[in-house]
Amino acid sequence: MSFASQRFCPCWAALLVLLLLGVLPVSRTARAEEAFSLDMEEFEKKSWKLGGFAEIKGEHMDVRQGSAFSLLNLGEAPPSVLDQLTGSLQLNGSYAKGIAQLNWLLNTSGGQDTFGWKDSAEIYETYLNLTPSPGTAASFGKKSYKWGKGYAWNPVGFINRSKDPNNPEEALEGFITSDFEMIRSFSGDLRNIALTAALLPVRQGVNEDFGAEDNLNLAAKLYLLYLDTDIDFIVYSGNSRTTRFGADFSRNLTTNFEIHGEAAYVPEAERVILDEEGQPVRRSDSAASYLAGIRHLTEYDLTSIIEYYYNGLGFTEEELDRFYQRVAVGAEQRTLTGNDALLRQMQQLAAQGYARPNPGRHYLYARFSLKEPFDILYFTPALTTIFNLEDQSFSTTPELTYTGITNWELQLRFSLLNGGRASEFGEKQNSNKLELRVRSFF
Amino acid sequence: MKTILFAAGLFLLAWNCTSALAVDGAAILQQVDRKMQPESYEMYRKLINVEPDGKSKEFVLYTVKKGQEKMVALFLSPASENGRATLRLNENMWLYIPNVGKPIRITSLQSVVGGVFNNADILRLDFSVEYSVQQASEEGDHYVLVLKAKNATVAYDGLKMMVDKATLLPKTIECFAASGMLIKTLRYDKVKDFGGGIVSPSVLETDSPLYKGYKSVMITAKIEQKEFADEVFTLNYLPKVDELR
Repeated sequence: MSFASQRFCPCWAALLVLLLLGVLPVSRTARAEEAFSLDMEEFEKKSWKLGGFAEIKGEHMDVRQGSAFSLLNLGEAPPSVLDQLTGSLQLNGSYAKGIAQLNWLLNTSGGQDTFGWKDSAEIYETYLNLTPSPGTAASFGKKSYKWGKGYAWNPVGFINRSKDPNNPEEALEGFITSDFEMIRSFSGDLRNIALTAALLPVRQGVNEDFGAEDNLNLAAKLYLLYLDTDIDFIVYSGNSRTTRFGADFSRNLTTNFEIHGEAAYVPEAERVILDEEGQPVRRSDSAASYLAGIRHLTEYDLTSIIEYYYNGLGFTEEELDRFYQRVAVGAEQRTLTGNDALLRQMQQLAAQGYARPNPGRHYLYARFSLKEPFDILYFTPALTTIFNLEDQSFSTTPELTYTGITNWELQLRFSLLNGGRASEFGEKQNSNKLELRVRSFF
Repeated sequence: MKTILFAAGLFLLAWNCTSALAVDGAAILQQVDRKMQPESYEMYRKLINVEPDGKSKEFVLYTVKKGQEKMVALFLSPASENGRATLRLNENMWLYIPNVGKPIRITSLQSVVGGVFNNADILRLDFSVEYSVQQASEEGDHYVLVLKAKNATVAYDGLKMMVDKATLLPKTIECFAASGMLIKTLRYDKVKDFGGGIVSPSVLETDSPLYKGYKSVMITAKIEQKEFADEVFTLNYLPKVDELR
C-alpha cells in the first residue's frame, strides 16, 4: 500500500478504521435503573492498577518546499505533501504493597508515512515510591518531572524534559533519578511547605541526553503555599549542565482570574551559535529567562490562557537568520556539487538547539477554549496561537475536542504556520497540518 | 384565680409565638452541616450527567475531608479520568492530571466533570463556612434559610435552603448569582443510614435554567468518619491520594 499518494488522507482513514470497528456508533444510552446505584465492590482498592489508552492518529501536512527545515529533513527533493497514520499504545500501572509502590508508564507507537514504516517503544517512567508517612516520601528509578507554573513553557524546569508547546499536556519520558520529599502543613499565613531534592546521575547509558557524562547532579525545589499563593524556589547544581536558579508563583486574584510567572537565571549559559562568518562557535554568557501568564474564565465558560515568554537561552533573530542562510547555502552546494557536508553540519547544529519547537527569544502564547458551547456537553472548541514577537511569524491552531462517549476522546486540529523567509514559522518544514486523533482509554 | 390562669395562658401563648418567630437560622445551619457530613470523613460517590436525549456519563469519586476547609477528591472512573485529583484548601482549588504531571489552579465555578455540577458542588465545604444566614423563617414542615456568601470567592452569591424540620436535613437549595438570577436548584433525596451515626440524603439531583433539559445526579454510596494527616491535603500528595483508600 502506497502512502505517497496525494489522494490518501490519513485523517479520514483513522475515522474509517473506527467506523469499521463499529466503535463510534456505540451510544451510551442512559440506563437510569443502573445509573442510580454504585457497586462498591467494583471500586475496592486492589494492589494492582492497570490503565492507559490506545490511539490512532492521521496527519496530512503540506510541505513548505524550500524552507530550511524541509531542506534539512526531507532530502534534495522534498515532496509537496506528507501523510502519516500512526497507532500508539500508552500503558500505565502500579503495584502497591505496604509503604512501597512500583509505578510504570510505557509508550509504544508504529506508523506509516510517505517515506515508510517507523516504530518506537519507550519506557517513560518506572520507579519505586516509598511513602513511610504522608509527610515523607522517596522514589528511585525513571521518573518525569514537571516543575514550573507555565502552561506552554517552563524556564525553571531544570530537570524537565522539554515539552511541545502545541501539546503541553502529553506525557513525557523521564530521567533516572533518586528523590526525597518532605511536606509539612501549618495553620496561618504559611499553610504548606514541601522540599523535593532529586539526584540525577549522567554516565554512559544513563541519562546520556541530559548533559555531560560522569557527573552526579542535584536539583531541589522548595514549595510554599503562602498567603494563598503557590511559590517555588528551584536550584540545579552539577557538571552535566551549568548551575541555574529559579523561582515561580501562581495565585488566584479572583475566582476566575489566575496569574502565574517564572524566572530563571543561569550565570554561565553555554550556547552553540553561528558567528558572522557562519562558523559554529561555543559562547558562554549569563542568561535570564522569564515567563508571565494569566488564566481567565468568563461567565460563559471561555477559558483564556495568555503567556509571554522571554527565553534568554534562545537564539536572537540575527542568529536564527544566519542559520537559515547557511542551510540555504548548504542546499545550493548539494544541488550544484553533490557535496552535502555543510548541510550535515547544519543538521548537527539543528539537533543542538536550532530545531527546538521554539528556538527564538520573545514569544506570546494564547489559547482560548470554550467549554460546551450551545449546550453540547463534553464538546470543547479551542484556538491556540504561538507568536514569535521578533520576526512576527506565528502558528494558529483551531481544534475541536469531543469526550462525550465514555472513555473515548476525539480531536480534530488544523495548524497553520505563517511567516516570511528567514522567520521561525516561515522556515518550518510544513506550512500546515491537519490532524485527527482518536483515543480509547481503558 | 381564673384571671391568674388566663394571664398565665396568655403568657405561655405569647412565649410560644415568640419562640416560633425567632428561628435561630445560624444554629439550624450548623445542625444541617453536622447532619449532612462529619467534619472529617472519607466518601465514595457517583456523579451522573444526563443529557436531554437520555444519554448519560458517569464518574466515580473517592473524597476525603478534614476540618472545615481541607478536601481532596480522586477520580476512580471512567478510565479516561482515572487518577485525576482535585484539592481544595479553603478557596484555593487545584486540579492534578496524571499526564500533565503538575497541579494547575482551577476555580469553583469551573466544572471538572462537565454538566450541571461545578467544582464547588463536588468539593463542597460546610455551608456555615461559606455562607451566613440572612433570614430564617418557617413554612409548614420546613425552615426556610436565606443565605448570603461571606465573600466574593464563594461560587454562589446566595442560597435559599428549605430544611425539613423533623430531620434538619435540606430538601432543596436554590443557588443564585449576585444579579439575583437562579443558577441551579439542588434537590436532596433518599435519606440513608450510612452507619456511625451518619444519616443523610444519599441522592442529590440538580438542574439549571442555564442547561435546559440536562440534569446531574450525585449518589453517595459510602461515607464514614475518618481522620487524615494535614499533609494529605497538599499539592505534593495529589499523585498519591489513592494510597489513602
